[in-house]
Amino acid sequence: MSFRKIHALLVLGLSCALALSACGGGETRVEAGDREQILHWGNGAEPQELDPHIVTGVPEHHIIIALLEGLVLKDPATLEIIPGVAERWEISADGLIYTFHLRADARWSNGDPVTAGDFAWSWRRALTPSLGNLYAYMYFPIRNAEAFATGKIDDFDQVGVEVLDEHTLRVTLNHPTPYFLQLLDHYSMFPVHRATLEKHGDPFQRGSDWTRAGNFVGNGPFVLAEWQLNKVVAVDKNPGYWDAERVRLNGIRYYPVENVSTEERMFRAGQLHVTGSIPPDKIAVYRKESPELLRTEPYLGNYFYRFNLDVPQLADPRVRRALAMSIDREQIVEHVTQGGQIPAYAFTPPDTLGYTAPPAFAHDPEAARALLAEAGYPGGQGFPPTELLYNTSEGHRKLAVAIQQMWKRELGIEITLNNQDWKVYLDSVNNGNYQIARAGWIGDYVDPNSFLDMWVTDGGNNRTGWSDPRYDQLVLECAPRAPDRERRYRCFQEAEALLMEAMPIIPVYFATRNYLTRPSVRGMPPNLLGYPLFKQIHLQAAD
Amino acid sequence: MSDEALQAERGVSLWRDAWLRLRRNRLAVAGGVTLILLCVLALLTPWIAPYDYRAQDLALGASPPSAAHWLGTDTLGRDLLTHVLWGGRISLAVGFVATGVALLIGVLYGTIAGYAGGRVDAVMMRLVDILYALPFMIFIILLMVIFGRNLVLLFLAIGAVEWLTMARIVRGQVQTLKQQEFIEAAVSLGLSRWTIIRRHLIPNTLGPVIVYTTLTIPSVMLLEAFLSFLGLGIQPPASSWGLLISYGAETMEEYPWLLIFPGVALSITLFSLNFLGDGLRDALDPRIAKD
Repeated sequence: MSFRKIHALLVLGLSCALALSACGGGETRVEAGDREQILHWGNGAEPQELDPHIVTGVPEHHIIIALLEGLVLKDPATLEIIPGVAERWEISADGLIYTFHLRADARWSNGDPVTAGDFAWSWRRALTPSLGNLYAYMYFPIRNAEAFATGKIDDFDQVGVEVLDEHTLRVTLNHPTPYFLQLLDHYSMFPVHRATLEKHGDPFQRGSDWTRAGNFVGNGPFVLAEWQLNKVVAVDKNPGYWDAERVRLNGIRYYPVENVSTEERMFRAGQLHVTGSIPPDKIAVYRKESPELLRTEPYLGNYFYRFNLDVPQLADPRVRRALAMSIDREQIVEHVTQGGQIPAYAFTPPDTLGYTAPPAFAHDPEAARALLAEAGYPGGQGFPPTELLYNTSEGHRKLAVAIQQMWKRELGIEITLNNQDWKVYLDSVNNGNYQIARAGWIGDYVDPNSFLDMWVTDGGNNRTGWSDPRYDQLVLECAPRAPDRERRYRCFQEAEALLMEAMPIIPVYFATRNYLTRPSVRGMPPNLLGYPLFKQIHLQAAD
Repeated sequence: MSDEALQAERGVSLWRDAWLRLRRNRLAVAGGVTLILLCVLALLTPWIAPYDYRAQDLALGASPPSAAHWLGTDTLGRDLLTHVLWGGRISLAVGFVATGVALLIGVLYGTIAGYAGGRVDAVMMRLVDILYALPFMIFIILLMVIFGRNLVLLFLAIGAVEWLTMARIVRGQVQTLKQQEFIEAAVSLGLSRWTIIRRHLIPNTLGPVIVYTTLTIPSVMLLEAFLSFLGLGIQPPASSWGLLISYGAETMEEYPWLLIFPGVALSITLFSLNFLGDGLRDALDPRIAKD
């Protein structure tokens, strides 16, 4: 049987399955959801936590933005800043002082008003070193925030956050920061409910159970109804939310499906409205058979491998460069990921708010071999066995196997693979308990800074042990002080060149987002950050 | 009974008799031959596999069976036949070694407990109950985490978990046998305990043990696939049938051959094991009248 015939049969089978799931055997979960305005969301992995000042991942993001709300929100269609808890704000002429006027009707889900004091206290908590917030550096544009986070000062009053009255908050920055408002919509700057945290243990330590269902008090459009480990996180509409009239969903169910094939089957069986991704091998089938279900969108993100610089054989930049140069990215995006990704030879995705880093290296196995030989491992001889860690997912596995073989073929290096569950993987990477680890980074806001400030010395999301004072100076001093965009970007260009020279990470590709959506999901326009504004989403089954 | 008949009877030991009966069971013989063939293939894999198991041809991708790749290729363009052969090595080794470990521990433990009876039996079986109560996945995962990932350890860990049921079956069997006259006869003849266990009890429990063994081997192979999937067993590029099947199942709509061929290989093995097991049980059961 020819490939074409097999393919035709399969497509037939797939469409039969689709047809069956649509009309046979009673109402599916999705149909019931359309009727009841309950969104069923494929969320990729079991959330590590639901504490906005602890988590770092995308699955957690999708849940937390439903439960909590920062000072501002983003319009999902344009990513423009729109009012959140702050009704309006003023920015001083020098761009240093922001005055936020909080809306009077913003309420916590237990009825308490959301006040400026809540924000000040929450930000203090987020910056307190004992909490170990990996995203603390998001606050560093604020005056003295860095000093407080690193323990240089203990007095939060010196930090540029000032409560003028119950509904007015003044923030003073170090330098004019064009993206500062965007930061405020990041979960690391969300408020938490002080009384609840204090009731459930020490608010400045990890491991509190305030985020359990029943304990959680939030200020977002939804409240946490249920959290069943590895099964579902359920949130229901919050009737006390200030904008509750405009919230049309009655609830969202987040399913932690790590296996993308399972997720795709659940979607087809009418159990999910939206998936997190799609198996690469299915993209072509959907493109041909049901293009209305497949969404392919540009995504401000990249996929890379992290090196642990404490591992002796990886401490040599020549080795890291050799590993980077021996990967054939063109082949990978074309045949492995197959979703329209772009090969990456720099870290920041091209044209991030007009910033494009020049390619820092090329695919050159010849030069890679020479570098490896120079580093003392000619032909890979004597290279200690090294482990590549990824979180369990067939997409990551496939890529890892492909790259493992490229390194073996081009450099003669033996790499073993290891996969771990999302939470364990995060733990291993955070604790430096890895040698090479897979990673992805999605911009938290549209600005090259979101990709470059993570690599400063001891940055929470650095996790490689790499450190270069010159780089820190460029990202933390040169760029923020630059008088205009052109000069600011020049600082970033130079910083990124340093990063790519040292190569504590290997960029693999720039992401695109491929996922499946039911036609009944409305109000979810595509955007670069993959950012959904749940209060605008509603479900409307086609008649 | 004539002298002649008596002589013939004496020459036929339990094993020889079993062998004669087994040979007459065609299905069992076919199963046995297939198994031997599979083991030979597994042993010869490094020499007969058509490609290097690491070799990829990304541009080729998943291709259906062809002259160059008899069973097709997987999504990374790796030859499936090569992977089925290499996977068979691991799966068969895990199946036989782990089951062997389980068999050894389980039969000895069960026989001793059943034969000793009384307090010894109570203590030994409570220990089994306790181990039963331990979630065995956690036990294996703990072993793997403490001692690191290692193929031999994987075999031992699975074997060390699988022996419990075996011990229970054997103990029950021994308890009933113990009451029978031939054991009393053996005792009154002054045979040592160890000899009684070895010569009379174990051979008589073989029927159920063999049936259970043939059931254990496939479950062990599946367990290995599960562990590998969790990242505790075999890691790519090496593979086993269980892994190939679990990967194949993910793309069965697009590339069915990736599921079918490893599935067929595993099914053939399991069928052979079952036929052989059935045949052995019949052949070894001393209570079936000799004809």
